[in-house]
Amino acid sequence: MLITLEYRLQRSLSWPKVGRKRTFCTGSSTLAKEMEESLKISVDKLPIKRLEVIEENGIERYPPDIGEEDKRLAQIRRIDFTPLVGKDTKKSKTSNDAAATTPWPWQSMLENLQLAHQELSVIIDLINTVEVNDAVTVAGMSRPKQSAGEMLSDLAVSAATKLQCFRHLGRYFKQSAKALEKQVAREARFYGALIRLQQNWKVKRQRMIAATSSEGFTIDLFDSSLSDPMVVFRPLSISTVRVDRDAAGMLAIDLPPKSCRSIQFGFSSDSSSYKLKKHCNSSEENSLQDVKKESAKDEDVDRCVKETHSVLREVHRAIFDEQVFDLVNREALFPSQGVSVTGIREDCLQLGIGQEASVFLSLTAFEKDKSHMIDTKDYAPNGEFGVFSIDEVDDGLLPAERQDKFSGFPSPISCEIYLRQIFHENVFVRLKERRTTSGRTQTASHSGGPGCGLLGHFCMTLAHRIFSHKVLEELEILVHGVPYLHLLSHPTWNSRSSSWTLSMKVPQSIIHAGRRPKSVNFAHEVRSQFYTKVVVTDECITVSGEGAPNVVGLFKSGGSAEVCSMNSYTCNLENLSLILLQQVASQVIRWLHEEALIIGMKASMDFLGLTFELDQCDTLSLVAHVDPDDARGCISWWLVMEDGSTEESKFSSDFPHGPSENRRFLGSLSLEALYSMLMELVSVCNCGSH
Amino acid sequence: MNKGGVGAGSGPTAAAATAAAQKQKNLLQRVDTDITNMVENFNTLVNCARVSDQPFRNSQEAFRMEMCAARVVQSADSLLKLVSELKQTAIFSGFASLNEHVEQRTVEFKQQSEKTDRLLEKIGEQAAASLKELENHYYSSVHRTMTTDN
Repeated sequence: MLITLEYRLQRSLSWPKVGRKRTFCTGSSTLAKEMEESLKISVDKLPIKRLEVIEENGIERYPPDIGEEDKRLAQIRRIDFTPLVGKDTKKSKTSNDAAATTPWPWQSMLENLQLAHQELSVIIDLINTVEVNDAVTVAGMSRPKQSAGEMLSDLAVSAATKLQCFRHLGRYFKQSAKALEKQVAREARFYGALIRLQQNWKVKRQRMIAATSSEGFTIDLFDSSLSDPMVVFRPLSISTVRVDRDAAGMLAIDLPPKSCRSIQFGFSSDSSSYKLKKHCNSSEENSLQDVKKESAKDEDVDRCVKETHSVLREVHRAIFDEQVFDLVNREALFPSQGVSVTGIREDCLQLGIGQEASVFLSLTAFEKDKSHMIDTKDYAPNGEFGVFSIDEVDDGLLPAERQDKFSGFPSPISCEIYLRQIFHENVFVRLKERRTTSGRTQTASHSGGPGCGLLGHFCMTLAHRIFSHKVLEELEILVHGVPYLHLLSHPTWNSRSSSWTLSMKVPQSIIHAGRRPKSVNFAHEVRSQFYTKVVVTDECITVSGEGAPNVVGLFKSGGSAEVCSMNSYTCNLENLSLILLQQVASQVIRWLHEEALIIGMKASMDFLGLTFELDQCDTLSLVAHVDPDDARGCISWWLVMEDGSTEESKFSSDFPHGPSENRRFLGSLSLEALYSMLMELVSVCNCGSH
Repeated sequence: MNKGGVGAGSGPTAAAATAAAQKQKNLLQRVDTDITNMVENFNTLVNCARVSDQPFRNSQEAFRMEMCAARVVQSADSLLKLVSELKQTAIFSGFASLNEHVEQRTVEFKQQSEKTDRLLEKIGEQAAASLKELENHYYSSVHRTMTTDN
């Protein structure tokens, strides 16, 4: 009890009110002043002698008197250090020591803890009761009311979240719009290009493919109008071209490599055949380029459309070539004039032209790598025929020059073009014009002649070209050997006939030099030119010309031969030169004869000789000698003197072998020299007659 | 195509016309549907702009907004597809203009072919004339005379 009392008393002293505290402070000792304001000191007001204990028997006991020292010590002990202890435990270790001496602060804490424990046990009891008894439920719980600031901040967070959402949506819309715009641009590009393609090609929509892939467009290059029952063109695999759209909306055409093949023509025996490499656009690389740039411009679209056009054209040409090759193969199977098949393979056909030449016709794939350039080197198929050779001669000659060098064969390219042209003209065009054509042979007979198909016509044309080249060579040699002969070419515009004229311009007569030919008769008498026409049809040479000697007529009349004004006969290549030389010589003789008659000489004309009568019996003959191989001149002249007694054959076998006293070799003479000789002979004759 | 359309007596032209009308109707319906969809979804989007007191509603609305946006884009895409379909129809069904163009091209090509023929003819004639001239020149030239002398 005492202890409790003491504690309460002390407590009331140690926790004074603020006002009281001040009073305490005013009355405190110097020690109190030294302490901090928070430090509170309780000091007994009255230092009187207090009753310490009243015993049960009523005896009051007073504490023993204490000295000054003890009193002060007790005062110090009464200092309450608890605030300091609560504030800083570390600092108050020393004060704890002091407090340890006084156990009251702990006591209070203990009581407080006990109170807390009681309250906690009540709560635990409640919880346990609630747990045990299900019937007890929470009747209500009120949320603590938020302050205005908290509400605003919540709202702000919500608004910000929403804003974020809208921003996100905005971005999404923007992206979508961009993508859609791109798609619109791509579609516009693609359909624009497709419309442009459609203006030239047959574009089809394939619904079956459209179900699986995005685009299902094909371009049909097969000409359905050619579906003639007689000429069955099978649709080729390349006749349907798929059109795709690449990432940039450009047209993309996928062609399998080496699908386009073209006809290649060449002479097997001619190593100079050359080939123009076709240009085939590779759509793949173009499309690859286009993929790289998403944003294509109008120029790119233009370029793309043009390239697509050119690729389609190539494919179209390839289809045409395949069809032509097919037709050629079919015709080659039928026996036809002028065609002899010497070798056949899947994509190659070898034909014999005449005895010496043979040609091949093959289908070769376009060279993609060597596009954009013209290669004159030959890439002829080196097949199992054993006659094809890869000629890599690069002598720097132009194709035309090389063609001259390897003369005898026409240009393979022109032949190729001609082959295509005749088939196009006579099969394709006619089929379109007249669907009711009764058959191929009839169609072919329009150009090829009876019993001769288009291929036969083509082969005969080739044969003619080769043959006529040989004829021309002969003629050129001839013209070179006879200086006064002129060779004139006459284009016939026919592939199987050629024509030339050998013209000889004779010097103007001296007598008629001053006079102009006014009447027709006079003009007919005095001619200035002689013509010999050489016409080659297929492989047949026809020579016609005025003044040609009629050999049959020579023996018929016995005397001076009647010469047909115009004569025409056929000959072969071997004796062409000889016949032409004889013709020319006879024309010279004829001209001299006419001139001699004009000036009043007595002259008679023979096959190749002109005879002047000098006296009654003596004759002087000018005889022409023709030799195509003579380097000094193909026509040479002899002067033969014959008197009436000697009957000598005009054409004795030893005639040209050497001069004798009656014969004189004059050599090849120009027309002027012959004419002057004639003039000299005039004087000789006059002398002789007189 | 003409099932349930015009009566049994109608010919192929009428059937085609009915089919075309049906197709047109379908297309218009699709356009209407797409546009209505777009407008509705946009309305929803605008309505969702209101900030609600309850946070869970805001989250709900965020999801809803995304859905609406996707629907708007999808409708736009559908419209675009419709446009491309129309383009295809225009390309592949305009036979009148196609035929006209083909005829025009045929005439052009014929003209070109004739022109080429004429040109070739002319070239041939010129070549013949040139050949004649050259031959005349050659036979009257010094070269020929020299050859003769030799």
